[in-house]
Amino acid sequence: MKNTALILSVICAMLGFNPAGSSAASIHIAAAASLSYAVKANIAAYKKIHPEVDILPNFASSGALARQLSSGAPAHIYISANPKWMAYLEEQNEIEPHTKVTLLQNSLVFTGLSGAEISGMESLSGLKRIAMANPASAPAGQYVEHALRATGIYTRLQQEKRLIFAKDVRQALLYADRGEVDGAFVYHTDALLAQHARILFQVDPALHPQIVYPAAMTPGGAESPAALDFFAFLQQETARSIFRKYGFIVPPDSGN
Amino acid sequence: MRITPADMDALWLSVKVATVATAVAIPVAFLLAALLVYTRWRITPLLDGIVNLPLVLPPVVVGYLLLLLCGRQGPIGEILSALDIQLIFTWKAAVLACAIIGLPLLIRSVRLGMEQIDPHLLHAARSLGASRTNTLIHIILPLSLPAIATGSTLAFARSLGEFGATIILAGNIPGVTQTIPLAIYDYTNTPGGEQGALVLCLISIAISYVMLLLNEGLRRHWNRQH
Repeated sequence: MKNTALILSVICAMLGFNPAGSSAASIHIAAAASLSYAVKANIAAYKKIHPEVDILPNFASSGALARQLSSGAPAHIYISANPKWMAYLEEQNEIEPHTKVTLLQNSLVFTGLSGAEISGMESLSGLKRIAMANPASAPAGQYVEHALRATGIYTRLQQEKRLIFAKDVRQALLYADRGEVDGAFVYHTDALLAQHARILFQVDPALHPQIVYPAAMTPGGAESPAALDFFAFLQQETARSIFRKYGFIVPPDSGN
Repeated sequence: MRITPADMDALWLSVKVATVATAVAIPVAFLLAALLVYTRWRITPLLDGIVNLPLVLPPVVVGYLLLLLCGRQGPIGEILSALDIQLIFTWKAAVLACAIIGLPLLIRSVRLGMEQIDPHLLHAARSLGASRTNTLIHIILPLSLPAIATGSTLAFARSLGEFGATIILAGNIPGVTQTIPLAIYDYTNTPGGEQGALVLCLISIAISYVMLLLNEGLRRHWNRQH
């Protein structure tokens, strides 16, 4: 009998029940995968001040998260790498429009193993294989496509099958880091994670729309004092300096 | 319901990749199944475990290990590049990923078939002077054909659905390596892609269902003959 009770309590624990009583406030965050390290660092910093709060982040592509949220997945805060998905959720009344802020910005770089001969967009036409996130599914890919089109080389690179579409930025980075491709377009924040690949050049931000990470609270989140407090924390100086440390650009006035 | 030319590309590529992957896997599966059924070496159980691993491993693990092996810095990759063969990011990489993922299903089926073969037939062949190779080719192979056919339908169906290993090893290049599951993934990650995703899901369900029916039909047909 003792065993049965033990097994039951283990199962309860695994399912997240707490038969002994109600647990402290928990905050669910749905955040774009490219934010995983920075958001985790922020959660750790916040938990130092508020150890009683349970923060559960869910990292996936912005699109996958948006679809989960519109299907009723629990979340208090949504941070997207793509304004389009934020607009999608806004249309479906899954976020509170007045809470929407531009939390972060990012930039694009070209990263790879090989050396000095690659110094800008004009030297790309000499390369055989260039990895980038798939523009059909990943926002990073759409920014790259925009920049390549603005330079006037996208169609040619694609027709000659020299563009390798990866699932997302991290996979493009993996290909560059292992030398499977001559180089890859990735976010500046991801390039900092590479083991071997180094940044070969920065992409001129004028070539593509601004890369912004909008954040907002869901209707459920706006009612939770704990979630509101953490959302405010993300916009304060402690969090801003953590985001900067991970390579993000923090807009001068994020509380718009 | 509208099927775009890009969807047709994905469909055609999926069928091509699954067909070639199954064709490549058949001889390998036949030889491995024969080893597993007819040898009692010390490494036989070990081999049994290894060939079944792709069945239970996350496909992304298979894809990642294949990338390490066949990438530019990998041992196989170096041989390939010395021979000037481009594998990664081509449809051949998708074939390799699918063949390895489908192999255990094929081996399981062929093994079951081989275990049904009357051992007296093999004894008779051997005692009448047939070599091991001859017995394998002239007795075991023809008697295993029904099992190979049933296994092939399963491996083919599994190949059509392969996603995790393919997206790592072959990338997601429309018209080159973008099979149906990868195209569906793209649609689900695009605002407004619901319609396109649904069309490809239906196509995918239809093909897979037909393959399963075919598999069941072959299995029954073969059981009735015994």
